[in-house]
Amino acid sequence: MKTVSARLWNRLSSINLTVALCLLLTMDLVWGYFCLNRRTALFTPLNDLGLIPWAQTYGSHNLLATGWFFLLLTLLALLAVNTFACTTSRVAQLLRAKGPGGWQRLALRLAPHVMHYGLIVILAGYLCSYLFTQVLTSSTLAPGSHLSLPGAGGQVQLLAVEPEYYQGERLAFWKNEVIALRARLLLSDNTGQREAFLSCNRPVRFQGYSLHLIDFAPKSLNGMKMKTRIDLHVRKDPGVALYLAGMALFSLGLILYFYQWIVHREAHR
Amino acid sequence: MSMITSHTAFQFAAVLYALALAAALAPGKRSLPVNLPLAAAIGCNLLAVGLRCHQAWPMLPMHLGPVALPLCLGLFYPLAARNCEPSLRRPTQRILLAVVVLLTALALCFPKDFYLPFLKSKTLLAHGFLWFGVVGKACFILSAAWAANALLPRQSSHAISAMGRSHRWAALGFSLWTASMFSGELWSYLGWGTPVVWEDPALTLTMAAWFFYGCLLHLHLTRSWSQTHRALYASLGGLVMLTLTCLPDLGPFRIPFGL
Repeated sequence: MKTVSARLWNRLSSINLTVALCLLLTMDLVWGYFCLNRRTALFTPLNDLGLIPWAQTYGSHNLLATGWFFLLLTLLALLAVNTFACTTSRVAQLLRAKGPGGWQRLALRLAPHVMHYGLIVILAGYLCSYLFTQVLTSSTLAPGSHLSLPGAGGQVQLLAVEPEYYQGERLAFWKNEVIALRARLLLSDNTGQREAFLSCNRPVRFQGYSLHLIDFAPKSLNGMKMKTRIDLHVRKDPGVALYLAGMALFSLGLILYFYQWIVHREAHR
Repeated sequence: MSMITSHTAFQFAAVLYALALAAALAPGKRSLPVNLPLAAAIGCNLLAVGLRCHQAWPMLPMHLGPVALPLCLGLFYPLAARNCEPSLRRPTQRILLAVVVLLTALALCFPKDFYLPFLKSKTLLAHGFLWFGVVGKACFILSAAWAANALLPRQSSHAISAMGRSHRWAALGFSLWTASMFSGELWSYLGWGTPVVWEDPALTLTMAAWFFYGCLLHLHLTRSWSQTHRALYASLGGLVMLTLTCLPDLGPFRIPFGL
């Protein structure tokens, strides 16, 4: 029994498997480019629906165009398992054979493995995000109107929209268009009220939800007069912290790896 | 008052890059006939990129990649073959110039610079996504050029040296490509609430290139393939992969020097 599990572990931690998976992923993603390019509308709901409902509807009914995506998920799952097995084996070897140089040297030697673990955390974060995210799409707010957050007892009210119109000469196509927009929100729950400012790349976090500004009106000082409104995406995404942590871990590994590379090069001069 | 446009500056750059390539391919060992038009071409290309960034700042100029990539490669030209013998250096520099000329021709024949910048690109993350990606891709091209050099028939020590350089450029490119992907994911999360926006097909090619070079680095580190196979993978495979990553930035055909 032990030999079977050891053999399976060895197979799973094979670097040849990594190479094969990376090649298959590359080819699958190139295939995916052409499918996504031709049938973009099929994949757009994936942002809001989540993985399972999307797979049961758009995904399973258009397998010719979405097959690459299911293959991608399978290959990524295999890559995560292979990366975990391979990295864990190497880390165990490194920890057993502590060479000269102490902990600092060991930390530098662990750099590539930190990157590998970072990748696994990122993939886990994405999976978590696509499986468990709650999305309220197209929540439109006009000044004075409010939005209730489901299950949280919180309310978001739009107090005012503060647009900044471009008045310079350099961006001719942008003259009198909104160049920056700030939406003043009132966030209230059982504990009290507070004001927050929402803009294009600055979401507001409230009661576990993140509020993202997707669109707004009016966009121009001239032209057709439209009522003032903002369109929001409201999301509760439990995977964010995980994939951000994964990115931080991967970046740390990368920095350590380059530091080790430079130190190694200097030592050999 | 007539002023030079970004497109005109890039047209000048294309002609000068072609002159530098012609001089590099001509027999003789003098470097001035290559370096002079190359320096002028880099100047024109810098002007073209600078004008497009100036016209869009603080937003991101759309589809700048094909115009900015030759500039990066031109700037890398002196660094690409530092501290190595002329017999090893020249083939790489010739390949590099040939790629630059090919890229400028593609950018002139299939421009996609008619899209206006959009408001959500007004963030440093968007600029990081673009520039890390462009410099990363330039490193990948250098890696492919060195790998192609390693395939030329000559002493094995030269091939080993060329493959070592190919590996270093691939590693640097991979790090920058990763930084570009992370910047893009963070930007996407802040702007749209999700790290991957499935409206943009280009993201699949970005990921494909990441896995392709991840695989190359594993092959280099483990030596599980022979050197010739690795060189073929890095040069021919790299060329195919990089051509594919340029596809989303190319538009419909235009006469390159039309009025």
